[in-house]
Amino acid sequence: MKGKLRLTMNQKTKLEGYFFILPWLIGFIAFFAMPFFKSIQLSFSKITKIAGFEMEWIGWQHYAKAFTWDVYFVPMFINTMRNTLITIPLTVVFSLFIAILINRNIKFKGFFRGAFFIPVLLGTGFVMKQLLGMNVQNQAIEVAMGIVMPDEILNYLGPDIAAYVTEFMYRITLIFWRSGVQVVLFLAGLQSIPNSMYEAARCDAATEWEMLWKITLPMITPVISLNCIYTLIDSFTDVNNPIVDYILDMGFKSVQYEYAAAMSWIYLLFVFIVVILIFVIFRRFSYDSKEG
Amino acid sequence: MGSDRMEVIRRDITANKMIKMNRLFTKLMSRNFWLKSIYRLFTYVLLMDLAFIFLFPFIHMLVTSLKTPLDVLDITVKWVPRSLYWQNYTRALKALDYGTTFINSVIITTLGTIGHVISCSFAAYGFARYRFPLRNFLFTIVLITIIIPVQVVIFPLVIQYSNMGWLNTHLPLIVPTFFGFGLRGSLFVFIFHQFFLGLPYELEEAARIDGCGAIRTYWKIVLPVAKTSVLVCTVLSMVWHWNDYFEPSIYLMKPQKLMLPAKLPTLYQNLEALSKQAASPEMEIIYNEAIVMAATFLVILPVLIVYLILQRKFMEGIERSGLVG
Repeated sequence: MKGKLRLTMNQKTKLEGYFFILPWLIGFIAFFAMPFFKSIQLSFSKITKIAGFEMEWIGWQHYAKAFTWDVYFVPMFINTMRNTLITIPLTVVFSLFIAILINRNIKFKGFFRGAFFIPVLLGTGFVMKQLLGMNVQNQAIEVAMGIVMPDEILNYLGPDIAAYVTEFMYRITLIFWRSGVQVVLFLAGLQSIPNSMYEAARCDAATEWEMLWKITLPMITPVISLNCIYTLIDSFTDVNNPIVDYILDMGFKSVQYEYAAAMSWIYLLFVFIVVILIFVIFRRFSYDSKEG
Repeated sequence: MGSDRMEVIRRDITANKMIKMNRLFTKLMSRNFWLKSIYRLFTYVLLMDLAFIFLFPFIHMLVTSLKTPLDVLDITVKWVPRSLYWQNYTRALKALDYGTTFINSVIITTLGTIGHVISCSFAAYGFARYRFPLRNFLFTIVLITIIIPVQVVIFPLVIQYSNMGWLNTHLPLIVPTFFGFGLRGSLFVFIFHQFFLGLPYELEEAARIDGCGAIRTYWKIVLPVAKTSVLVCTVLSMVWHWNDYFEPSIYLMKPQKLMLPAKLPTLYQNLEALSKQAASPEMEIIYNEAIVMAATFLVILPVLIVYLILQRKFMEGIERSGLVG
């Protein structure tokens, strides 16, 4: 060890730790932090020279423009907000429902597990757009609904309710197709609940329904919050997310990078609020291990 | 004596039958049994129904893509085409420029996936196993980067890449993945981190005592043990890279650099151009649902095949990876 730097064991492990995250750190600075801070700067300024990326500070102008001058932005933004806030709970509830169904003691388990993940392969991009262009989602739900709920029942309820139900169902199909990853995560969560808990509950004559509310749901809350977050980040690349397309068009077709950056920051702010909301809600309901 | 014995046996059998019949009878009479079987039946119907919704896009693609132009217009032909019309596929192959775009897609997907698996597991190992100053702060950053949309950083990023001369090459889609970023890179760091946390220390300690260095421990001991997580990340990264449209549509403009899905929106124009080129009646443009579906099916076919091969292990992997434990 002569001539070499002498390190204590502690220092050595610290250095090794830094060594392992070094590539990530470089990536973070080059592909995230730099563009990120540039983006903040961009949203408050005006580009004077595109080649050298020189900017001039102009303050809140772009933000004000989004809310006061742009006729399309606000309605689109509200639409996206509403879609996100509706989609997250629906996706989570339905994927949990499907996961619980598959997790039961059923035949052809492998087939069902495979089937529910398969729409993930369609992605959210151009392939999905082509399918939606052909109204494939409506055709799917029409056949599927015909089995569970015959037309006669719907007609009996009257045209208003029938229209409402079908409208809801069309929305649901898309949500179904986008819940593959969530179903799989829930399945993993359900598998991790120890069987002994259910056995103990059964000895105490608990019904399935009680077990769902008193064991399954409390044990699975971390996965529920994880899935809420996943659904949120999945919606960034959704074809039904108009604001994303609008921001891009503004940036690349109308070449207003600064304004587009400002709009994306408004969108990010909304995303942050949703994330905080999810954390606050789940902190209240989460299962506290100290109590047990 | 013999007949006596037979008699006993026969009596036994009848008694047995009686008991069985009796049991069946009580079972059939009990309310619980009926409720249970109705419940089971209902579960299966519901599951099949839901599975149908999930499989329908693929059924629809396959069926429609084989229809003749006449069948497409005929409403009575819904599930089974009158004859299998393979010309849709030959046309779609040409319109998609399948040779070039397929290879582009394969290059980006393969390298991107390899990059993600190596770099994300590397960083995650550092976060999960070592304690060093700022560790918690940096890991919080990982979590924050998961929830920040690409749209926020895309504009400076494009300017940065264009200054580096990376536009219209595959580099902006591949290089970041080797540094733990790229398409949802932070999410993979998170997945690996969760898995490494659940891994017992003993294996690594034994390796270290035997004089194995840090990198070698990671490469020879930890990564092979993390097979399930590697598989989960491989499948997810592969599927997402293959279908990604947002970033490729910004970085790649030249036709010879495009990825497979990017050819779909311009399918009609491509067909038109082809028919002008060929100028033969055989290649006249027939643009209908059938050909669009044939093209769409061709786009997802490679990823579908790979998924069907890995599917079983992938599902087991997710359940065991401790992702949500």
